[in-house]
Amino acid sequence: MKSTQYSKKVLDHFRNPRNVGTLEGDDVAVGKVGNPICGDLMEVFIKVKDDRIVDAKFMTFGCGSAIATSSMTTELVKGMTLEQAMEVTREDVASELEGLPPIKMHCSNLAADALHEAIKRYRARMTGEVIPGEETQAGGAECAIGKENYLGKGVYLSVTNPEDFKEKRVLVVHTGDKSLETAIELSKHTGRVVLLTPDAQIRTNTKLKEDLEASGIKILYGSKLLEIRGQDEVEKVLVHNLNEDEKYDLFVDAVVLID
Amino acid sequence: MREVYLDYQSAKPVDPRVIEEMMPYFHDLFGNPSSLHKVGDVATDALEQSRKRIAKFINADDDEILFTSGATESSNMALIGYALKNKKKGNHIVISEVEHISIHNIAKYLVSLGFEVSTVPVDQFGRVRVEKLERRLTDKTILISVGYASNEIGTVQPIAEIGKLAKERNIAFHTDAVAAEGLIDLDVERDNIDLMSLSSNDIYGPKGVGVLYMKKGYRINPLIIGGGQERGLRSGTENMPGIVGMSAAADIMAKEMPSEVERFRGYRDKAITHILEDVPDSHLNGHPTERLASNAHFRFDGIEGEGMLLSLKDLGVSVSTGSACTSKTLEPSHTLIATGLVHEEAHGSLQLSFGRFNIDSDVDRAIETIPQIVARLRGLSPIYVARRR
Repeated sequence: MKSTQYSKKVLDHFRNPRNVGTLEGDDVAVGKVGNPICGDLMEVFIKVKDDRIVDAKFMTFGCGSAIATSSMTTELVKGMTLEQAMEVTREDVASELEGLPPIKMHCSNLAADALHEAIKRYRARMTGEVIPGEETQAGGAECAIGKENYLGKGVYLSVTNPEDFKEKRVLVVHTGDKSLETAIELSKHTGRVVLLTPDAQIRTNTKLKEDLEASGIKILYGSKLLEIRGQDEVEKVLVHNLNEDEKYDLFVDAVVLID
Repeated sequence: MREVYLDYQSAKPVDPRVIEEMMPYFHDLFGNPSSLHKVGDVATDALEQSRKRIAKFINADDDEILFTSGATESSNMALIGYALKNKKKGNHIVISEVEHISIHNIAKYLVSLGFEVSTVPVDQFGRVRVEKLERRLTDKTILISVGYASNEIGTVQPIAEIGKLAKERNIAFHTDAVAAEGLIDLDVERDNIDLMSLSSNDIYGPKGVGVLYMKKGYRINPLIIGGGQERGLRSGTENMPGIVGMSAAADIMAKEMPSEVERFRGYRDKAITHILEDVPDSHLNGHPTERLASNAHFRFDGIEGEGMLLSLKDLGVSVSTGSACTSKTLEPSHTLIATGLVHEEAHGSLQLSFGRFNIDSDVDRAIETIPQIVARLRGLSPIYVARRR
């Protein structure tokens, strides 16, 4: 079966997704699952009254089945008690949709997980339990393998002449405001600047934040630089995605590491 | 409403004029070129005539053309066949990061046989830097294989420069020319190409036929052993309707390519200009100028390619995407990754490729529909909304 050979019901929910949007309030909880790197990111919002889900909404980045399963999940759980909703499985969602292509069962059928996450968060809040947040430790890439070997061959500890970076793909490691300023300056000289930060968000002053947003810089959150590689000069880096505990190659021409 | 097909790089319809030339070879002229009687002689004539037509198409000699079942087989012969035959000279092969997946998989197989493969990275536009390639050559390097152009992002490689370098270093140079066929004038002399893979379907001939060009003096081990057809390098009774079809397609292409390429370039540039203008946070993948006349490859922030593909399908427009969600392996396109994109960016890509049977209104349909569907999917996307906040 082709990965895009979907049932009529999947296509219907993809074309006309139900319950798109977000919810806010003290009686609302949200569950997030997936990662854009894998091609799927889902947020399921539930509004709870007397232990019952009175409303559900979703936002999804993903393929056809990711959107359809999110839509179906929100439809299914409206009116359910939290206990009933906890028992809704991925398989239930798939069978309500008249099945999914086998290859899609795991990669994009995550909405039930997002729902369970939302319920857990709601319950934790009710009992005053502390929910682990998205904060991670700050810290640069001082231990990146290969840093010394590529000094002068694509690794820069400071940037004096941003014109040298014209048409180059530059990776800037977030080590503080100075690195942000450098990244913004570089983005005026080359179309491709990637900023790597171990944190879930960039904490800095409003001005830098605005400049960063306007710059078109690609920010990789929750990521660490593990290794610099290339034949005689920087050609790629190995990036560790801390959220997914995945390592992958990113092709770049230069790495900027400002102490 | 007219179904709009903008995925010519995946498959092309056979030109009706080609079908007409093929027809007699199914029944009336059914002979086997190996037979010595009259019926066989007719087939032999057709086979050799076809060889001549293909040779002319790429500025080669007749005896440098080997018919195969398609470009994948040709590339298998060029890489595996050449490596096995020449392993005494060395065990090192150089390819690029942006090769067609078939070349990457053949290279993996060669590694399992004990060969060493180096992969040359490309710049942000997907172009091989010759100095980086040169840095990887050793005295054990026997073969360089770099595709003429990318079938995905359309970037054209500096083939003549690579050919010159290979010649200077006395290393064989293979190119998979499938993506460039019919869009760029192929000339094995001019570009110093020693081995070249061609496909019939990519010039509007039937599927299941291809050619390996092999320069005189070069030798390979056969991969298909049998009755000794194609000088013993590719056995099996010749696919005569297919071979005649491919050579007819090459003749038509040689005549019509200049005007056709002009037309595609018009479609391409119109699509690129309008879509980049009409869709916020959209980008062009591949090289701004060194790109195939028929290829427009976009990336849209915050959405995923399969959703775009399905939405366009509903609107009667066929395109393709580099998104992982539509691939057999669930991995995003290695070519997009090689240009320096991260996975989530590669997921949001969309490829338009134009071809012979497109009409002017087809490109207009693409320009009308794509901005709408991008806007709809972004309305659902938590990533895009977060950015807008």
